[in-house]
Amino acid sequence: MKDQVAVIGVGCTKFGDLFETSYEELICEAAFEAFADAGIDPAEIQAAYLGTYMPGPSGGKAAVSLGDALRLYDIPITRVENYCATGTDAFRNGCLAIESGACDVVLVLGAEKLKDRGGRGLPRFGHPLLAKGNSAPGLFALAANRYMHTFGMGREMLAKVAVKNHYNGARNPKAHLRMEVTEEKVLKAPIIASPFGLFDCCPTTDGAAAAILCRADLAKRFRSDYIPVKGYGLAVTTGRPFFDPTFDYLGFRSTQMAARQAYKMAGATPRDISFAEVHDCFTWTEISNTEDLGFCEKGQGGSLVAEGRTSLSGDIPINPSGGLKSFGHPIGASGVRMIYECVKQLQGQGGERQVKNPKLGLAHNVGGPGAVSCVIILGNN
Amino acid sequence: MVGIAAYSVYLPRYRLERSKIAAAWGTSQSSGEVAVANYDEDALTMAIEAATGCFTDSDVSLLDGFYFASTSAPYREKQMASVAATACDLPRRCHTSDFCGSSRASLSALLAGFYALRAGALRSVVVAAGETRVAQPESEMEGLLGDAAAALRLGTEDLVAEFVDATSVSEEFTHFWRTDEQRFVQAFPGKFSNTYGYNKDLGEAIRILLERQKLEPGSVARLALYSPDARAAADLARELGFDPKRQLISPPVAAIGSAGAADALLALAIALEEAKPGDLIIVGAYGEGADALLLRATEAVTAYRPRRTWKQWLEAKLMLSSYEKYLKYRRVVEIDEAGEAINNVLEFKELRQDVRLYGSRCGACGLVQYPMAQVCLQCKARAGLTDHKLSKQGTIFTFTIDNLIANLEHPLPMAVVDLEGGGRVYLQVTDFSESEVTVGATVGLTFRRLHEGGGNHNYFWKARPLR
Repeated sequence: MKDQVAVIGVGCTKFGDLFETSYEELICEAAFEAFADAGIDPAEIQAAYLGTYMPGPSGGKAAVSLGDALRLYDIPITRVENYCATGTDAFRNGCLAIESGACDVVLVLGAEKLKDRGGRGLPRFGHPLLAKGNSAPGLFALAANRYMHTFGMGREMLAKVAVKNHYNGARNPKAHLRMEVTEEKVLKAPIIASPFGLFDCCPTTDGAAAAILCRADLAKRFRSDYIPVKGYGLAVTTGRPFFDPTFDYLGFRSTQMAARQAYKMAGATPRDISFAEVHDCFTWTEISNTEDLGFCEKGQGGSLVAEGRTSLSGDIPINPSGGLKSFGHPIGASGVRMIYECVKQLQGQGGERQVKNPKLGLAHNVGGPGAVSCVIILGNN
Repeated sequence: MVGIAAYSVYLPRYRLERSKIAAAWGTSQSSGEVAVANYDEDALTMAIEAATGCFTDSDVSLLDGFYFASTSAPYREKQMASVAATACDLPRRCHTSDFCGSSRASLSALLAGFYALRAGALRSVVVAAGETRVAQPESEMEGLLGDAAAALRLGTEDLVAEFVDATSVSEEFTHFWRTDEQRFVQAFPGKFSNTYGYNKDLGEAIRILLERQKLEPGSVARLALYSPDARAAADLARELGFDPKRQLISPPVAAIGSAGAADALLALAIALEEAKPGDLIIVGAYGEGADALLLRATEAVTAYRPRRTWKQWLEAKLMLSSYEKYLKYRRVVEIDEAGEAINNVLEFKELRQDVRLYGSRCGACGLVQYPMAQVCLQCKARAGLTDHKLSKQGTIFTFTIDNLIANLEHPLPMAVVDLEGGGRVYLQVTDFSESEVTVGATVGLTFRRLHEGGGNHNYFWKARPLR
């Protein structure tokens, strides 16, 4: 509920191909940065939520990966897994724990070590026959192709998203892919799953991010520039959109519904949002997200980026961090990493990437594709 | 009266030029091409393709027999006819059997079907033959063997041809063989085997048939024969007093290769496609003896339209880019295939959904949905969902051509397909050229080897552009 929970500290590791770093090391780095940022002793944490798609090698499937890494014992720790919305959903669960009155101070941590899981994209789970042959880019590509067919959009519009997000990410010391790209380079890259070329796809990344939440009325004890949680929403639709004859493939209802919940709680409209970290797992996804989140009409997401309105100096900067595209996408960590960026921006600590005078920041994940979406709205104090 | 109610053939889409085989080994091969089954095809899947061309959904409930014939079945132990009958959604009360051993297997199956019908034991039987025989690399045989399938529906009414008579001779003769330990077809080809095997055995069977029916070769319209090589059938026809040019029909070895047990049915199907009412047709096959059957075309033969003509099958081809692809498709070069075991409990539980391809139809809102649903996807009704057999044809709503996913062949297109009559499926696309995979393209569904795993071939439906 609006303004009942505040973020008092955040932490984030460098994202990248962290072949020499372990899952536990990532957790510690993110958590202790957040503890220091909040000025809090780990012993004050009353509950923790671990957002992770694939827990660490010694943690089985449970939340003990987090407990063991931090030696955080004797308190409730829960693992949250909700496809690519894992990180933001873990954050949402942290909010619920505080709002319920059960806890005053909660740790939310997202961590993922994709590079320890072998090379080729993500490991596949699921039915041995149905939908066999799907890949993460392949699934989003189904939507992109239908969207581009319907609205007559070309790949060069997708490329503009990559160019913008790499520009931002190149200015972010913690980003995975810190280089700018040209439209030409994006268009000439090898095709991964049509219409997506290599630079239309986010990388598979290692990383962790953490946030310390506390009761808003206690937040002043820790810092003056705490960040109040204004609203959140989570919506689930079918995890098999490719079997749904009523699905138009032009956007994701889960995002629209999650956004509606979050805006309602925050008492805000899309126009009130100063900037947003949206789930740009693929370039097309960002275009569709900006529509589903209400920043423009359906079919206008391409123009939004083409006109520069989503760049750092635009009227609705999208992914000032560099996004999943450039910052990287360690699945469970991404949502919490977005919270990290929103907090830093709202505190005016965005450095070279600082957006102008932000009032409300929005973080958004969508996974499945389209099966689940989570939206978080944070404000400045 | 018993006879043939429907016929259908299947040719895989790929052709390999013999010159590519010759170039690979520095040997010589005759000109022309061999038909090559795709990497996800085998004798079973091709037989199913052929079989589905000879009945409609309304015929299926009347079928009570399915015979599968092949010398290159994908299993040594596991009945293929039953798998095929399930994929074709035949009733459970069905007599199924596999026929194997030699190129004669298809006519052995055909005879068994006719005899069962004549005895009144069965009502309507499908006989389907498919072959993907593999020759020793670098051997002459490599340019001879081709892949194909054909099927017939036998019955007692609405016949295109009536079964008249048959003769068989059987005696051990070593011409083609493969022991239980051999991978590649062995042969003792040439003049000796043709003279003392093929000509002697099949010649004898046909002569007896002609004698018994008091027929002269000239009164037979078509002689439809399996041929062990490109010339043997013509030599035999001439020796028996037939005019090969006018009367002989034998699958074109030069254009597609020799497809073993499928060949006799293929020849018969081509003969029926050209037949006029009253035409007498002799179909013959060979292998450790021979079978010859006499059929008479009915009035209905001219009205019968196969799903595609033989000429269309021959023309709708794609050229295989290399000989190495062929070696990969037939698993001659060993490649570790990404796969996973299919839990047999899951297979059992989902047979109707995954193999017979049923979805659900909501009684309340009418939405057809796949996979089978407990609660309607659209109106959320809990009650009133009924099993709904999905159509095997539809249009691509959207797609991608994926280079990332691990698969034996790349790239792998995946398509979301809206089926005629409702239901949306999401399938791998096969037998394609990239320009055919577009939004709005019409595709058919085909039962294919999806992946290997757990020491098993795992089959599921794929989409392919309609040719």
